[in-house]
Amino acid sequence: MKIVRKILDLSFQLIEKNKILAKFKPVLHAADGFFFGVDKLNIVPHITDYIDLKRYMSFVIIGLLPSVLASIYFWGWRVILVILTSYIFGGMIEVAFAVVRKKEIHEGFLVTGMIFPLILPPSVPLWAVALGVMFGVFFGKEVFGGTGKNVFNPAIVGRIFLTICFPQIMTTTWPKPYIGGLGGFMRLSVDSVTSATPLVAFKGDHALLPWNELLFGYGGGCIGEVFRLGIILGGIFLIICRVSNWRLPFSYLFTVALFSFLGNKFAPAKFAPVYFQLLTGGLLFGALFMITDPVTCPFTKAGKWIGGIILGLLTVLIRAISGYVEGVMFSILMFNALTPLIDHIVLSIKYNRPKI
Amino acid sequence: MKSKQRSFKGGYIFGRFENQPKDIVSEQGMPELAVIPLSQGFGSEAAPLVKKGDKVEAGQIIGRSDSVISSPVHASVSGVVEEIKSVSYFRRDTRMVYIRADKSKKDYRRLDGYAKDWRKLKVEDIERLLYSSGVSSLDREGIPTRFKSSIIAPNDVENIIVHGIGSEPYNISLDVLLSGKKLLNFIEGLRILNVLMPNAKMYLALNGRKIKLAEEICKITTKHAWLKVITLEPKYPQGYDEMLVPTILGKKFPFGYSAANIGVVVLNIQAVISVYEAVCEGKPLIERIIALCGPGLKEALHINTRVGTPLSDILDSRLRQGVKTRVVLNSLLTGEKLTDFFLPVDRTFSQIVALPDNDRREFLSFVRPGLRRQSYSRTFLSSLLPSFDKIADTNVHGEARPCISCNYCDEACPVQIMPHLLYKYVKSNLIDERLMNYQIFHCIECGLCSFVCPSKIPLARHMKEGKDKLVMQGCDKSQCILPYFDLKGIEEYRGAKEA
Repeated sequence: MKIVRKILDLSFQLIEKNKILAKFKPVLHAADGFFFGVDKLNIVPHITDYIDLKRYMSFVIIGLLPSVLASIYFWGWRVILVILTSYIFGGMIEVAFAVVRKKEIHEGFLVTGMIFPLILPPSVPLWAVALGVMFGVFFGKEVFGGTGKNVFNPAIVGRIFLTICFPQIMTTTWPKPYIGGLGGFMRLSVDSVTSATPLVAFKGDHALLPWNELLFGYGGGCIGEVFRLGIILGGIFLIICRVSNWRLPFSYLFTVALFSFLGNKFAPAKFAPVYFQLLTGGLLFGALFMITDPVTCPFTKAGKWIGGIILGLLTVLIRAISGYVEGVMFSILMFNALTPLIDHIVLSIKYNRPKI
Repeated sequence: MKSKQRSFKGGYIFGRFENQPKDIVSEQGMPELAVIPLSQGFGSEAAPLVKKGDKVEAGQIIGRSDSVISSPVHASVSGVVEEIKSVSYFRRDTRMVYIRADKSKKDYRRLDGYAKDWRKLKVEDIERLLYSSGVSSLDREGIPTRFKSSIIAPNDVENIIVHGIGSEPYNISLDVLLSGKKLLNFIEGLRILNVLMPNAKMYLALNGRKIKLAEEICKITTKHAWLKVITLEPKYPQGYDEMLVPTILGKKFPFGYSAANIGVVVLNIQAVISVYEAVCEGKPLIERIIALCGPGLKEALHINTRVGTPLSDILDSRLRQGVKTRVVLNSLLTGEKLTDFFLPVDRTFSQIVALPDNDRREFLSFVRPGLRRQSYSRTFLSSLLPSFDKIADTNVHGEARPCISCNYCDEACPVQIMPHLLYKYVKSNLIDERLMNYQIFHCIECGLCSFVCPSKIPLARHMKEGKDKLVMQGCDKSQCILPYFDLKGIEEYRGAKEA
């Protein structure tokens, strides 16, 4: 503790003297706040809750931990390298904006930097990670004004940018996960053996994996989305902690289940069965960690229900009818774009006349 | 008594904060110099009846204005009037009577015409006793009598709510207020109020954690058809009039007006006991039980003190030495900060909370398990193990950040408005009728939104600012209320507010 204090004090002195370095004060302030908390006092009310955004965001990271650990098991230690790349390059954009705007660095990036690598394919080259996260943070968040003002989920923006610009990286090569024994804990990276993801397999020749294999992530897919048991547990943990709201994931998953049940009944060639829809691709990860981002989802309760229904319909439709195998990503982007409209409509209906 | 406890949407049940007041009452003793504000409780300032140099007796009326809505003020000690001057008291210029006490005289003058057997008294005598004892000024709208003590007449009262919910972080103890014989006095007080306001149904709302007490009262009062005993969850801000009326009566509240306007009188336990003491013992309102609580005190307990005792008499020896403390009146969420210790205790005090002003920075504060941390979210160990006493201090516990619409504030809001939405409008200075449409005038300023905000935004303050700005722009807030209610005593209410 004393050592950290000393280092911080020294660096504060250092940047005071240097004009160019002085611009990087927000970085030091962020570190200072990170380690030592605040000395400010309340006015009224005289007491406040102990929760702050640091705690709030670090709980999302805790919720993601099962997925991260599982992804090391499935894909080897390179995953850590991918996550680090994402943090470093995304952090650079964050710092650059803080320096230019002369504002503080906010905690929201802790989550973006963690979620983004988890929705990339395991064999993704590091340069693509860096490019994607920089694009995502820049155009998904900072151009709108930073934390709390962004319309789109920055991780989704980065991911879609990569998908559209480098389709061969993002959609064609899917390595097989390590299964059995210590798995990826003993390896550095994935083999070059590739296999189709369950969704691709279904689209191609209607192959279905049993539910238990999907739950434990035998099927292949993006880095963090395959170990679905861990995602479900992490998501429920966040809901119990009141960090994310249950309404949106519930209505999303319920709509997907209902809609794919109906679709499967009438057009089984296009629509996969319910359990398969729920347990493949990024659906659970998206439902429990991405759409629940409070900034980019509707803030009204009714809006959350409506948004979940729209999301569910979009996802199932894209999966079944479009040329893409995975619909979660695009439906989240569209849902993010619709969010302000949904809230506006809900509010204007709720408060259309002065009620008592 | 109903088995299912009624409640309202939103709100928040606080955990047990450290250093709650113990169930003992210590006698404070007489002050050397009593400072008596001529405006106490509900009503406007009374005109002084004494002048400098006069000898006064404890219990003697020293301020009275029968022409406006007010109640008499008494000397709480015997002695000599030293001075009468105007002092800023809770940001209002109030005339104070300074009385140098004669400590040997502990007795007080009793009211004329009191009777142990109050049933022999005529109703107007009871009303006169209540008025001249000053009891009629207690609580938010006072007790209506035929003298101008409230904005409505006793016959207009349709419902009386007597409550001892204790939904604040620190509360005066029900067990102290209703210990032993006082419980019987309290019930006698309820009976007196029933005779006084015969058209009214009476509801007694008690903290849901005091089931035994509620059952005991139920047993004593089974014969009274006019009384209903209810237990309510101690969910903040249940003790507010705005929350009691809808939860107990199922009526809508005219936000911005008072419960009296819809014919409801809301009283707390101590007021009812004072009613008994005034009518049956002839005791003027010169004493009050106050809970002293919070970690800033050496010992948290209740005191029985004379009205007009300066705070320094009470607190100087009791505050913990060596730490900076903040002293707050009544509520930790909305209460006034007490800074001038020469100012006195008056009739409206019920809790005095002392908190340490904790401006120490804490190393890696946000990763600590938080066994003793109170939080609306369930991200601390304290939500798994709630039996540990919670820390109470004035630190902000986090850096200010932009709003992320986490919905904590609108989930916690007891009146179902969206503080974070209104905050965004007010902050970007978009003050127009949209704010009114989003029901900003429903805000009861309970401060819960500011408490729960993880971004540490003082939402309640912004809401107040928004309301003030709207009113300044000439927005008529009564148009949200008046067309929907048949309110009583509007003119009197305006008069009392402006005075």
